Amino acid sequence: MLEVRDLKVRYGAVEALKGLSFRVSERSIVSLIGANGAGKTTSLRALTGLVQPSGGEVRFENTSLVGLAPHEIVRLGIAHVPEGRRLFPKMTVFENLKMGAYLRTSKAQMASTLAMIYEHFPILEERGRQLAGSLSGGEQQMLAIARALMSRPKLLLLDEPSMGLSPIMTAEIGKIIRQINALDVSIILVEQNAMLALTLARYGYVLQTGALVLQGDAQELLQDDGVKKAYLGL
Amino acid sequence: MTAALLVQSAVIGLSIGSIYILMALGLTLMFGMMHIINFAHGAVYMLGAFAIYYVYFQWGAPYFAAFVLAMLLLGAFGYLVERSIYRPIKGGVEPTLVALLALTTLLQAAGYPVFGTLDKHVPPVFSGTRNVLGVMISVERLMIIPIAGALVVGLYLFINKTRMGAAMRAIEQDKEAAALQGVNVNVINGLAFAVGFALAAAAGALMAPIFKLDPMMGEQPLLKAFIIIILGGLGSIPGAILGGLILGLIDSIVATALGAEPAFLLSFVFIILLLLWRPTGLFGHAL
Repeated sequence: MLEVRDLKVRYGAVEALKGLSFRVSERSIVSLIGANGAGKTTSLRALTGLVQPSGGEVRFENTSLVGLAPHEIVRLGIAHVPEGRRLFPKMTVFENLKMGAYLRTSKAQMASTLAMIYEHFPILEERGRQLAGSLSGGEQQMLAIARALMSRPKLLLLDEPSMGLSPIMTAEIGKIIRQINALDVSIILVEQNAMLALTLARYGYVLQTGALVLQGDAQELLQDDGVKKAYLGL
Repeated sequence: MTAALLVQSAVIGLSIGSIYILMALGLTLMFGMMHIINFAHGAVYMLGAFAIYYVYFQWGAPYFAAFVLAMLLLGAFGYLVERSIYRPIKGGVEPTLVALLALTTLLQAAGYPVFGTLDKHVPPVFSGTRNVLGVMISVERLMIIPIAGALVVGLYLFINKTRMGAAMRAIEQDKEAAALQGVNVNVINGLAFAVGFALAAAAGALMAPIFKLDPMMGEQPLLKAFIIIILGGLGSIPGAILGGLILGLIDSIVATALGAEPAFLLSFVFIILLLLWRPTGLFGHAL
C-alpha cells in the first residue's frame, strides 16, 4: 500500500536521508530501527509532508505524496504520531480526540470511532475533562495514539512510542499496537528500542546515517549478529 | 477629584479600554499563532475610521451598515495580506515584520493623496447624554462599550466553540501537530489575519465620530495595544481584555486628575513594575 523509492531529504548542507527505499503491505507492521540520527524520524516527517524531500518518490495506494501538504496526506488515510507525542497541552483529553477527527465532520461517525477508542482506552474516557498536559507519560502516549486513530487511518506512523516509558508501560503500548494492527491498520513503527520493534513487526529495516544498511524478516533480524551487537545490546 | 468626576472618567476609561481591547485581541491572536507582531494594525484602524467617513458620512449609508462593511472589507484585506505577504515568506519572522512595516508605511503614505491632508471629522452618530450613576455621559462614548463587548463575546464563542476556532487554538499550541490532524494551517492563519484586521477596523469605526481623522491616527492606539499585549501576556486573550481595561482606566482617570502626559508616563511605569514582578505578563507563559 505504501512504496518509498530512493527518498532523499536535505537540511541545508546536511543530507539526512541518502536515498531510502522501503515498502509497507496491507495490514502489516513494518519497523525502522537505528541509532539516534539515523534518519528514522526524518523518514516519517517526509512521508507526511512535514519536510519536503529533495528527491525520490512516495506512493500511497497509487497516489504520489511528494509535494502534498500534511492535511492532504491525512485526508488520504495516513496518521502520524510524532516523536514526543505533541499533544495540545492546554486542551482537554476530549478536545484532543476531537482534533484528531478534524477532517471527519460526520457526527455519527465520530461518535462510533470515539466509542471504539474508549473501548480500547477506558482511561481516556475517565480523564476526558482533564487537560492533556496533566496526564502521565503513558497516558499521554495512549492519547497521542488514540488521537491519530480518530481520523480512521489505513496507515499509522508511530515515532518512538516507547520513549520515556517504564518497561510495564512499554509492554502495554506494545499490546495496543498489536490490537490496532488487528483492526486492519498498517503500521510503520520507528523505535530506538529495537527489541520491542522487531518483536512487534513482521519486517524490519535498519538505518544508519541516513541510509539503509540491512533489511529482512523481523525474526531473522533478531537473530542477526550485527543487529544483536549494535541495537539489542546482546 | 470629586466622585462625579471619578465616575465620569471611569466610564470614559471603559470605553477607551474597549477600543484598546479590540486592537489588542487581533494582535495577540496573530502573535500566539504565528509569532508575528502586526505593525499594520494601526493603519487598519485608520482605514476602518475612513470607511465610516466615506460610507456613512459622505455617501449616507446607515452607520451600522458602514460598520459591518468596514469589518468585512478589511477582514478580506487581512486574508489577502496573509496570502500575499505572510505565506510567501514562509514563516520567516523577521522578514515578515519588515514586510508588515513596509505595508504600514505604504498605507499611511497613500492616505495623504487619497484622503487629503486636512483633518476630517465625522458628525456624531448617537446624540445626547445619559445619566450613569448620577453623571451625564455622552451616548456616543457609552455605545462603544456594548458594541465592543458584543464583538469580544463573539470572538470568545468563535474561538472556543467552533471547529475553526479549535484549529486556531491547536495552531497556537503546536502548529505541526495541528497540521497532522488535518488542519490546513495556511487557511486558518489567513482567517486569523482576517479576524484581527476586522477587529482593528471595528475599533477605528467606533472611534471615527469621536476623534479627528488623519492617516497617522492609528499609531497611538497601536502603541497602546502593544503595551496591552505585553501587560496581559503575549498570545493571551484574557490578558488582552484585562490589560485593555487597566490601561483604559489609567489613561482616563489619571489624565483627568493629572493631565495627559502624566497618564502616558504612568502607563509605562505601571508596565515596567508589572514586568519586574511577572516577566511574562499577567496571563503569559514562557515562550
